[in-house]
Amino acid sequence: MSSLTGSESVLAEADADPLTDRLLAHPRPAVIWGGVAALLLLVEAGALAEVSLRLLADLVGALPGVGDAASVAALADAAGGVPTLLSRETIPNQGYWNGSAYVGTFLGLQPAWAWLIRVALVYAYAFACLLWVYVGFEWYRTHYRVADWTPRDDTVDRLRGHRWGLFGLAVVFMFVTMAVFAPALGPTTVDQNLANPYSHQISYWTGSEVATSPVGDANLGSRSQGNAQTNVGPWSYDDFGRFHPFGTLPSGKDLFTFIAAGSRISLVIGLLSVGLSAGVATVFALLSAYYKGRVDDGLILLSDSVMGMPQLLLLIMLSVVLAGTWIGNLYSGAFVLALIFAGTGWPYMWRSLRGPALQVSEQEWVDAARSFGQTPGTIMRKHMLPYITGYLLIYGSMTLGGAIIAIAGLSFLGLGVDPPTPEWGRAVNAGQEYVTTASWHISLIPGALITLVVTGFNAMGDGIRDAIDPESDSAEGEAGGRGGGA
Amino acid sequence: MSKWRYLGKRLLMSIPVLWLGTSMTWFIIFQGPIDPAANVLSNTQTQNTERYEAAREQLGLNRPPLEHYLDWMANLFTLDLGQTWLLYPGSNVNALVMDFLPRTVWLGFWSVLIAVFVGIPLGFYAGLRSNTLADYLASVSGIVWRAMPNFWLAVILLSLLVSSETLLGFDWDTFLIDLPSGVTGNPQLSYMAGRPWALLTQPGETLAATKKILPAALVLGSASMGNEMRIGRTAVLETRSQKYIDLAKAKGVSDRALVWKHILRNALVPLVPIITSEAFLLIGGSVLVESVFGIQGMGFLFFKAAIQGDLPLVGTLMFVFIVLMLVINIAQDILYTIIDPRVGYEEA
Repeated sequence: MSSLTGSESVLAEADADPLTDRLLAHPRPAVIWGGVAALLLLVEAGALAEVSLRLLADLVGALPGVGDAASVAALADAAGGVPTLLSRETIPNQGYWNGSAYVGTFLGLQPAWAWLIRVALVYAYAFACLLWVYVGFEWYRTHYRVADWTPRDDTVDRLRGHRWGLFGLAVVFMFVTMAVFAPALGPTTVDQNLANPYSHQISYWTGSEVATSPVGDANLGSRSQGNAQTNVGPWSYDDFGRFHPFGTLPSGKDLFTFIAAGSRISLVIGLLSVGLSAGVATVFALLSAYYKGRVDDGLILLSDSVMGMPQLLLLIMLSVVLAGTWIGNLYSGAFVLALIFAGTGWPYMWRSLRGPALQVSEQEWVDAARSFGQTPGTIMRKHMLPYITGYLLIYGSMTLGGAIIAIAGLSFLGLGVDPPTPEWGRAVNAGQEYVTTASWHISLIPGALITLVVTGFNAMGDGIRDAIDPESDSAEGEAGGRGGGA
Repeated sequence: MSKWRYLGKRLLMSIPVLWLGTSMTWFIIFQGPIDPAANVLSNTQTQNTERYEAAREQLGLNRPPLEHYLDWMANLFTLDLGQTWLLYPGSNVNALVMDFLPRTVWLGFWSVLIAVFVGIPLGFYAGLRSNTLADYLASVSGIVWRAMPNFWLAVILLSLLVSSETLLGFDWDTFLIDLPSGVTGNPQLSYMAGRPWALLTQPGETLAATKKILPAALVLGSASMGNEMRIGRTAVLETRSQKYIDLAKAKGVSDRALVWKHILRNALVPLVPIITSEAFLLIGGSVLVESVFGIQGMGFLFFKAAIQGDLPLVGTLMFVFIVLMLVINIAQDILYTIIDPRVGYEEA
């Protein structure tokens, strides 16, 4: 110890302190951060509780013979009653004109403005949360972390200066926000407008009086079918005074609500499938890098065989074969789709991870750990895995974009996610005949959004790659980002 | 390892891949949760025990699985593809494939060609003029082009061409070459049946068939085009910073020779595996593009068989696709060993 210089000995001493001691010694920033974070969470606590309970209810309902789904669902309903800042009840946009003023909308504003305010607030809230997480990281870095500098700081700094990557990050974040806040973002709800339009009533101004009508009838009166008479375009009101930011579908249903709900299912399938295939690919990459030889050859053979079958065709075949089974009915068929994706997609990711994993396995510290008598499992987990997690992020991001395209492609063909559940590809399909007519929005808007989101995921992947390893410029794994050609 | 041994190893490797892929297909189709025999019959026919048993008999489902498996594999490997049930009932699959495959090959050929002849020059152009406005424009459009879903692009292009007279100011159907059958439908390839040289001797028909397939090929090649552009750009940038380029410059090689002889030729090497691996995407994408443009090709056939539940046909077609992919793979390896003499030495 005596040979250490002053600052180094401080560092070594502090190293022994656990994080809690450091927090207690200097609590101010942590308290401020925690307070603001709690505040941010509190305004949305009701929605958060409702969503998590509803997920639990779905899970309980899906597993045969476990627990009581109804009681969990009742709890979820109760949680839905807790007032939240960004809900449609706080800032309602579904009102009607009674001849002199708007009734039932936020501050008596036009439905369009009320909706816009809610959307703006939701996005402001989401970005505030993101910013606060980043502030938390910065404060931790300056106030609590022992080391002044770690290699990860450079990665973060490089990402901060990477405009293209930041663009991707912003797009992806907005997409995720859309998926998370889907019920609050739509100008109307899935249940009211898409699923059970005839069990809901709306009031509207006929021109001389206020009348009521089932939503289903209103939908029939606001169809978009190509000619100027039957068309409700983007950013317009229909004859029933309802506002449609993206226009309506040929069936008269609201396109924005459809897209927002569809983004949720795309994201769930995408995350689940990429998570699963990343898990499989990582385990296999570590195994083939550590054992090499026979294990590696066997895995090459297996992955070549899976890749030998065109991914999209395999998806079609498996979704047809598994459509009627119990697993095929979970979450409108989304769950089995994610499984199929993972099953057919892991070889692409494994290929990309195998190279980096092989490089790590050649390092001296792996040899050292082996001669120390550590078990293969520990070596793979502790001494090899940390070096390939970065690549996992890159390829995961790109594969997610591809998964979104492929899911949309399948539902465009009428496969995959079961029909009443909204999915982007189905909107493209519904608007197929109307592209060059007044109802161009039905196909064009969802397609443009898919393009934007996929570009965002690719850009984010590029940004992370450049941040982690500025030297590399590999085009590998790009095929994985294409969703099997959909 | 010499390149011939490398090539031999790759060839040998494709045999177990073919076997494993086909076996997986058999397992999914015949041991999966769906009864293929009940599926190929209509509802009323399923009630009829006699018909049902006959179908099981003919599909070989009442035999032990192992025997059935061996029989099925033997049939496929001897290229006896059996017959269809629901789709074009009772026709011979071999004949069906021979009928549908040329259209897909024609489509694939043109989409690869378009991708190569548009994507690579654009990428090289962007690479040679890096960090100019033209470069940014080309790069960004390449990235966006790559992210566009094929089926969406197909829908838009089709609608544009169908109403081209009012929207674009010219009628696509009569533009340059007269196409009475409109934008959608099959390209007329029958004039080449048995006489492949007709491709050159009857240029009128070739042009008509080309024009017919062009919109679909453009859509199908779009993703590859964007990819090849990106990689072409990086390849040029990397080649430009090589030392031998400096040497050539110092020797006083003219700019034109520098670009054509030293930069572009070497930048082509990393593009070869990209072009062939894009072919994988073409097969998958052909399902969507063929169904939008109404081309009766292999992808269309596969999709129809899948949604109508003709599972035996789905399995057989999957085998054909696996063979197709392996052939492309081997072609890539051969091409690569010819172009890049370093192949095989690195892998060892």
